Amino acid sequence: MGYRLDMGRLKNTVALALLPALAQGAAHFVTVAGLGGEAEYEQRFTSLAKEADKILRGSGGDNRIHTLSGPDATREKLSGALAAVAKEAKPDDQFALLLIGHGSFDGSDYKFNLKGPDVTAIELAAMCDRIQAGKQLVVNATSASGGSLHALQRANRAVITATKSGTEKNATVFARYWVEALRDPNADTDKNEAISALEAYRFADQKTTNFYETAKRLATEHPMLEDTGNGEATRTPGKDNDQGMLAARIAVVRIGAAQKAAADPAKRELLAKKEALEVEIDALKRDKAAMPTAEYRKKLASLLLGLAKLQEEIDK
Amino acid sequence: MRLFFAVLITAAGLAANPDQCRSLEKHGKKPEARACFLQLTRSGDPFMRAEGHYGLRAYKAANDQFRLAVQQQPKNPDIRVRWGRMLVEPFNRNTKDAADLFSEALEIKKDHAGALMGLALAASGSFEAKAEELARKALEADPKNIEAHELIASMALEDSNTKKAVEEADAAIKISPEALDALAIRAAVEIIADRPAEEWLKRIYQVNPGYGEAHLLIGHHLVLNRRYDEAIAHFRQAIKLDPENLHAQSQLGIQLMRTGQDQEALRLLNDAHDRGFREASTTNSLKLLDSLRNFLTFKTDTTVVKLHKKEAALLRVYMEEELRKCIRTFEKKYKMKLPRPVQLEVYPDHEDFAVRTMGMPGVGILGVTFGDVVAMDSPSGRPPGSFHWASTLWHEMSHVFVLVATKHRVPRWFTEGLAVHEETATNPEWGDRLTPSILAALRDKKLLPVAELDRGFIRPKYEAQVVVSYFQAGKICDYINEKWGYDTLLAMMHSFGARKTTPEVIELHLKLKPEEFDKQFLAWLDGHTKKTVDGFGDWTKKIKQATQLKRENKLDEAVKLAVEARDLYPDYIEAANAYELLADAYEAKKDKKSAAAELLKYAKMGGRDPKALKRLSQMQEELGDPRGAAATLARINYVYPVNDEPLHRRFGDLLFNLKDYSGALREYSAVLAMSPLDRASAHHNVARTHLAMGDRAKAEDSLLEALEAAPNYRPAQKLLLELEAQKKEKP
Repeated sequence: MGYRLDMGRLKNTVALALLPALAQGAAHFVTVAGLGGEAEYEQRFTSLAKEADKILRGSGGDNRIHTLSGPDATREKLSGALAAVAKEAKPDDQFALLLIGHGSFDGSDYKFNLKGPDVTAIELAAMCDRIQAGKQLVVNATSASGGSLHALQRANRAVITATKSGTEKNATVFARYWVEALRDPNADTDKNEAISALEAYRFADQKTTNFYETAKRLATEHPMLEDTGNGEATRTPGKDNDQGMLAARIAVVRIGAAQKAAADPAKRELLAKKEALEVEIDALKRDKAAMPTAEYRKKLASLLLGLAKLQEEIDK
Repeated sequence: MRLFFAVLITAAGLAANPDQCRSLEKHGKKPEARACFLQLTRSGDPFMRAEGHYGLRAYKAANDQFRLAVQQQPKNPDIRVRWGRMLVEPFNRNTKDAADLFSEALEIKKDHAGALMGLALAASGSFEAKAEELARKALEADPKNIEAHELIASMALEDSNTKKAVEEADAAIKISPEALDALAIRAAVEIIADRPAEEWLKRIYQVNPGYGEAHLLIGHHLVLNRRYDEAIAHFRQAIKLDPENLHAQSQLGIQLMRTGQDQEALRLLNDAHDRGFREASTTNSLKLLDSLRNFLTFKTDTTVVKLHKKEAALLRVYMEEELRKCIRTFEKKYKMKLPRPVQLEVYPDHEDFAVRTMGMPGVGILGVTFGDVVAMDSPSGRPPGSFHWASTLWHEMSHVFVLVATKHRVPRWFTEGLAVHEETATNPEWGDRLTPSILAALRDKKLLPVAELDRGFIRPKYEAQVVVSYFQAGKICDYINEKWGYDTLLAMMHSFGARKTTPEVIELHLKLKPEEFDKQFLAWLDGHTKKTVDGFGDWTKKIKQATQLKRENKLDEAVKLAVEARDLYPDYIEAANAYELLADAYEAKKDKKSAAAELLKYAKMGGRDPKALKRLSQMQEELGDPRGAAATLARINYVYPVNDEPLHRRFGDLLFNLKDYSGALREYSAVLAMSPLDRASAHHNVARTHLAMGDRAKAEDSLLEALEAAPNYRPAQKLLLELEAQKKEKP
């Protein structure tokens, strides 16, 4: 089945957010736990990378996963993993790179710290550019990761960084909460049984903020997202800044039966009806401000009831 | 006009030395004094020029000239002293640099009375006990030092030691009948005792009819006696007499702000600031008034609650309810009603709250009461587990009732003691515990006699004395309550309101001399604390050994020692406490029941670390005790209800399953108030709770909100279909 939605009309909508769960094509993941420097960091980074690996392997869909940590976290192996994805990935596929560890920024170049030679943001960008996957996600959760944003941003690629600039050099906690987002069903805020990059970003951002507020510490990291390829990164993606649309379409983890239903030819007609209803609900929500409240609520209730009944049919 | 001043300058030219200029000023001859100081600024001597600028309040120019003078006469201690005196002025309030200058002067001349006096003044501003010692040294160096007597008198009055205050003021007046501040202290003594002070004020006005400083001093003492409205009246009088007294204007502004009169406060503080008075409390108060724009106000018949907009939706429910409950309880206990609604201000930014308490004695203040305005930290302003907001609220509300009942005529020890008593009377788990610093004070017999206990609050002589004084005052009230009953405490409160002193009140209501009371109280306290005081050293060893044994996985031995440590010092609930150590050991032994029992003891002893309490709640749930689990989470709400969405979700679920639907609704609403990312499930929880409470219309509304956020949310879809089916059955 294909998607015939008018993509241009949809911004951060429910129908749009549904897409990831049903997306076709393979998903390629490369996760790297960089050089810790100290035993505590080494252990923390490796453990996060392993946990991400486990979650991704347990997620539904056609996932191809490369995870590098400890002695494998070298520039050579990272290049190799990205080259392998470049060889394999097709335009319908999606690709996600997660960098956990320490980064540095000297005012012009960002470097991801690895065993042996480091890799710069420009080099990382060049390696990712060779990958054909039509939807790409780079989550750079390292210190100073904001310094990599400019080099990494590109059309059809969502870039998430743990810090707003290269000058935020303290060790970060964002990676911890990013991984937590992947395993917490509460991160699936639109309840479409998939956690999108946008949902995981918002979850991790909120947890990061809470971490500093609760600890009464001055926040030394301010996560950012950019996914238009040429815009300003923002902390709060949404309609106001046109950021987050691509991230909303990238499913990082699938947690339900949606993928299974999509694969069942018998359900295609129902799914098409469902899709049409979702588009209607989305349109109604966009018109909300211009409608009398009572009328809006009546129409919304009717559409939601129709959708619930349809879902009941699909679930049978 | 110009000719007139020229004549004055000429006349003043005969008396152009700093002492005479200051004498003119002291006697209210402002134009003459000004002309005199002006003439000094034209002197060839930079020290004289500095004095001239200082007198004209041209502090920057004076500073430059003092620097020059010191360069020219590095061995002259007087220059440094006068320079330092300028820096301790309220306008400058640079006590650090001033103290350095006084110390340098003492290096040049070791018993320089002016330098010692300067150091005493610098120390007195922050209620340091060493201030008196320094002033005494100044008196030794110069027995006729009026200022030293005046400062000692003022500090004695701050400590509620009226007798000493009068003696010292009289000593100053004996040296000079024109000792204005000594006369003002005598006036303050009378005013605080509700006696006429006209005689003393008249003597002040005879010397200087425009001496606003007298009313500033009186106002200061009234503030310390929590008589805020009267203090405001005296600050107003100070400005009326001397419109240039920006210190008084700033104090008036701050006091108005503290009592909730923000508009006038803002105007006065802005004006003082614009006219150059920029010492920290003025500037910080202006910043605070500015930040109050981010607060929302919620009014009822009896309460006015001001909360920061970022947490108002969450905290309002808890705080308004607790405040109302507290007022209902205290109305019965104190047998009175408050004349006006109580205003509660809750600050998420500790710096904002700190501005509220600037210039107040004491350290580590959690809440503060100004008449019927209570200000306190928000739980979000403190690290989780370090602050029990409800206990603090009840403490402060006790002050509100006591201050109203006594018309603010109550010694500090009694109102603090009663407030501390009320915390644990409300809930034995609340209030503070016996800390190691209190144990040390008990061991070293550092408690003060009841008649002198106020001193421990105002001017501590050792680091923990304020905390120890709170503890002692609280225990005294516990003891009186236990032996003579609560009505005796109330009767004592009313006698204080009738201006009786502590010894008089003790004798009247307890039929004991204060010394005998102290003896009996200490014996009673000893009975409660002796085991812990004596065993403190042993406890330290045992807890260390138990921790090590646990680390070595020698669990049975660790348990044995930790139990002994816990029983030696059961009040210890801070980091590395025996309860959590025991819970860890029991869990390692796969004995969850004992682990939970230990953590429950921790909670009942007042342990309030949210992590430990959540751990207990989880265990209780796993052990099939959902009611206990819910009660444990309720404890966290009194400590750290903020920044913790999962807490409210879990608590809501527990209450829902226990069919406590109104409680569940409160908790699920708290989740929504935190603007959760997962709005759908939050609204769905509210919807199913409304439905359980039989309110189908509200359930439908919430369900619509849930599905608007996430149209495909299965549980909400199922509930919608159920509601639809119900409608068909029972339209």
